[in-house]
Amino acid sequence: MINHYAALIKREFWEHRSIWITPVAISTIVTLGVLTMLMFVSGFAKELDLAIFGAQNIASDNERQAALTGFFLGTSWVFLLALGFLTVFYCLDSLYAERKDKSILFWRSLPVTDAETVISKLMTALVVIPIVAVLGIIATHIINLIVTSIWVASKGGNAGTLIWGSVPLLDNWAAAFIVTLAGAVWMSPFIGWFLFISAYAKRMPLLLAFMPIFVIPMLEGIFLRSSVFAETVLDRGGLPLFRSMDFDAMFEEEQWRVSEDVASLLNHIDIVKFLTTPSLWAGIIVCGLFVTAAIYVRRYRDDS
Amino acid sequence: MTSLVNARSVSKNFGAVRAVDNVSFEIEKGKILGLIGPNGAGKTTLLKAVLGLTECEGDLSVLGFDPFRQRKQLMQNICFIADVAVLPRWIKVSQILDYVEAIHPNFSRSRAEELLLQTSVRSDAKVKELSKGMVTQLHLSIIMAIDAKLLVLDEPTLGLDILFRKEFYANLLNDYFDEERTILITTHQVEEIENLLTDVMFINDGKILLDSSMDALSDTYVEVMASGEGAQKARGLGPIAETEMFGKSVMLFEGVSREHFEGLGEIRIPSVTDLFVAKIKEARK
Repeated sequence: MINHYAALIKREFWEHRSIWITPVAISTIVTLGVLTMLMFVSGFAKELDLAIFGAQNIASDNERQAALTGFFLGTSWVFLLALGFLTVFYCLDSLYAERKDKSILFWRSLPVTDAETVISKLMTALVVIPIVAVLGIIATHIINLIVTSIWVASKGGNAGTLIWGSVPLLDNWAAAFIVTLAGAVWMSPFIGWFLFISAYAKRMPLLLAFMPIFVIPMLEGIFLRSSVFAETVLDRGGLPLFRSMDFDAMFEEEQWRVSEDVASLLNHIDIVKFLTTPSLWAGIIVCGLFVTAAIYVRRYRDDS
Repeated sequence: MTSLVNARSVSKNFGAVRAVDNVSFEIEKGKILGLIGPNGAGKTTLLKAVLGLTECEGDLSVLGFDPFRQRKQLMQNICFIADVAVLPRWIKVSQILDYVEAIHPNFSRSRAEELLLQTSVRSDAKVKELSKGMVTQLHLSIIMAIDAKLLVLDEPTLGLDILFRKEFYANLLNDYFDEERTILITTHQVEEIENLLTDVMFINDGKILLDSSMDALSDTYVEVMASGEGAQKARGLGPIAETEMFGKSVMLFEGVSREHFEGLGEIRIPSVTDLFVAKIKEARK
């Protein structure tokens, strides 16, 4: 059973090579960006040279930690943004391409049910792509820490304490993992919708997938004079996973002060709040309905 | 259980069109059955029903399974090539072997690799880099490495040149077929397969026109080529079809024994193609 799904998911990596090419590309771009920045600031004073990551002139360990977390967070957001686009295109292609190139009859000639096929694609979008993205984030962090360590050491700084000693690695990575997976589950109604459209569309799945997002609010506005649909969709923009931040506390005495609590990303995450948000579960049910519809369309459609 | 496929009053409608109309037949183990019919006769629909790709009315059992509801179990013991170009273009030969090996309990990878060695298909090539003939060779190598009870071929050699077509059927007969296996095949190129069939079924407008073993066919049908008085006499025996060739009449008879034609002209066993044409014309009258 597990081998079965492993083979199905491996297949997705072969077909959709962007799943692993995208993280590699982003990692390369970020690293090149960091290198350029390092070269650029090399022309300035020594204090500034070291200010980027392991700045000696930053007062406390907490602030250094926060500065590094800031860089880490920036990298992670780039990955998450790319992941979002990747998932949309992956889902829309996953059940459409096999019909377009007519390979569906080959896939269906093997002992795999339509439900197994569709679920393997759902799992790829919901779990595998996020995990690959987190691995990409981790690899990018490690590569760039090594690069900056070499740079700091070459400037006479102590990379051991300034960089590695200050990096809340596990905290950052655990947070990236939780946010990415929670984000994917939070967005699961869209994943389900895209999979359904991918199975259903005769042509132009992208257009078909996004049309209702514009058309339904318009019709709703004209005929019902309400905006329930648009609000529901927009509500998905905010992930209910984070504690509210007390910005005032960070600016004590007109000065930027970061407490230990704030520097830790995990401290901002509230899993209980996330899991007790009703619309999370409503979204999962909607996802389940669309996925079931996708399975039925693949099973009953006879246009091959 | 010797009959692998058992169909009782099977029908399939597409809206108002009756693609398969109340069809009943059986396919026994160890046979090579040719399903022959003009375009739109319902061949592909019938095959899809057998393969569990489409739902149908009536009772249909394949290897004891309900094909539409138990497709996964069915696919462990049944193989099919639906059309030549169906292998995904992006996949590598080695990847497709990996995949089928992981998915299919009855697939022998070493057998597939052995078969591929006889072709010019390299294992690191992508399907899109292969010629149409090579894709079919690849597909056939995979199919022949699966220990299946029933093999279904729907126009397997469409678009291939004659060399590949000959080789395809030679491989199928020599390296694959034995008394434990059963093959169901449809094609337009009837002449190419009529020598390898054990049984033949004609289908037109969703109905079965003929369902017979090849042996029984030569007993039931006689073709007589005659002219003048011989032709007159033969015509009196009620041919089901008559054509002119080189100034002589070629007549096809059903259920009239051979001795009636002694001395009237040249007596032959009709080809499946001629028989098919005659049966279709008869049905369309």
